[in-house]
Amino acid sequence: MDKPAFLARVEELHAGGYRLALINATTVMPAAPVAHGASTHGAPATEAAPGPVPADAQASAGEDMFELTWAFARDAEFETIRERIATGDEIPSISGSFGAAFLYENELRELFGINVTGINVDLRGAMYKTNTRVPFSHRAVRARLEAATAASAAAAGGSASAGTGATTEAPASVKRP
Amino acid sequence: MKRTLVPMGPQHPVLPEPIVLDLILEDEKVVDAIPTIGYIHRGLEMMVEKVEYTEMGFVVERICGICSFMHGMGYCVSLESIMNIEVPERARWLRLIWAEISRIQSHLLWLGLGADAFGFENLFMHCWRMREQILDIFEKTTGGRIIHSVNKIGGVRRDISDTELVAILTELRALGETFKGAATVFGTDASIRHRLGGVGILGREDAIAVDAVGPMARASGIRTDTRLAGANLYDQIDFEPVVETAGDCLARVVVRMREIDQSIDIVRQAIEKMPKGEGQPLETRPRGLPNGEVFTRLEQPRGEVLYYVKANGTKNLERFRARTPTFANIPAMIKLVKGCELADVPNIILTIDPCISCTER
Repeated sequence: MDKPAFLARVEELHAGGYRLALINATTVMPAAPVAHGASTHGAPATEAAPGPVPADAQASAGEDMFELTWAFARDAEFETIRERIATGDEIPSISGSFGAAFLYENELRELFGINVTGINVDLRGAMYKTNTRVPFSHRAVRARLEAATAASAAAAGGSASAGTGATTEAPASVKRP
Repeated sequence: MKRTLVPMGPQHPVLPEPIVLDLILEDEKVVDAIPTIGYIHRGLEMMVEKVEYTEMGFVVERICGICSFMHGMGYCVSLESIMNIEVPERARWLRLIWAEISRIQSHLLWLGLGADAFGFENLFMHCWRMREQILDIFEKTTGGRIIHSVNKIGGVRRDISDTELVAILTELRALGETFKGAATVFGTDASIRHRLGGVGILGREDAIAVDAVGPMARASGIRTDTRLAGANLYDQIDFEPVVETAGDCLARVVVRMREIDQSIDIVRQAIEKMPKGEGQPLETRPRGLPNGEVFTRLEQPRGEVLYYVKANGTKNLERFRARTPTFANIPAMIKLVKGCELADVPNIILTIDPCISCTER
């Protein structure tokens, strides 16, 4: 990402009277593009979600990424900044402009393992107490998906495990207690 | 001067939920506060990997037991917007009515907790007695007192008959009259004034600097309310956000008290304006699978809540994120605690109306 341009844009929003509404990360996995219509939902294929695959979903066919969104609000107006970063990339803290950003940024660091530099209040990993050390890292998400796939394959027997869509759709069919 | 560290929490008489503040004191004055949350993190956002989008709404409701209705509504509104579902009008009005009733419930609960925190046990009991009436209304209309599960994607699961709506309004009006007694005590009692007046002042500039939301911001003179944007039929409601300018603990109490009256009035307007009659459609069945992303903002009792939902055309959402008002108000709380007396810390923490379950999810 272009850090100076990003920080300049953030400062511009700050000067424009916006307040920070959210900093969010999404773990983007290099899964095969979702097969629309190949629904296991009980609905006929024609009723599956219409429309083209958004650009975001197509981009996810590449490598492991984090999709970051900074959202700002001013009354009813809403502005977002979207960046995609690779695992291990550094992102600059915006707590210089928006002091309240530190909670979100500590969260990014603890739950996603994203390296945020220059946070004004560094909680040093003490914000959340989680079972998995970094629950939304690519490795952790992949491990959960694989475990769920294996469990569903074991539950369904050998015959139902074929098919390319199995990886993305399997977690839904895991038996819940 | 020598500095002392006083850990406050996770267990403390005024804290309904666990949070830790390490208070660094010089004599009796707090010079710094370091928050630690994480005692009630349940990983609900991770559950989108396992729970189908149709059922996730019921998980989302369980983020918090006080704004459970609004959480369910926020989730359903987000999915409806992604899937382009037109919700029947009566269902939208019913959602608005339940949302406002849950605001009254939340504020009464908080006023009780506040009274308990500054040592006014009697007032605490009165507030919670009134809250009990609201819970009875919820039980009658949704079947649940705390977790209602009445929202579903595309509408609501239950109707309230027109006669029942009138009965609810009568009951709310009576409650409003009873509440006036408690409000008089909150507003005029000398001990409350002494305890809260001029304590924990958040000026207008400071409130803007720490991005405060909800009653916290409104008590500091900022006219902010997500309902003003007019979504979810609020454009048809005539209301003006309650704004106080003092910015102290007492102002935050007053804002919430006045909002109870306002919510009763909003329920009245909604009942007048909603389409009447039995057997009206209550839901539009969702078709297909969601694909797309959306940000949804609602005004919860504690302030603006923001949901981010990203769906990728499968049964499981790719990402669900709720940024709750307490999360946004924690920087304000830390700002207020710095520089105050140790004895005022509990009241200051309580007047942001902290919901730690919401914050950590």
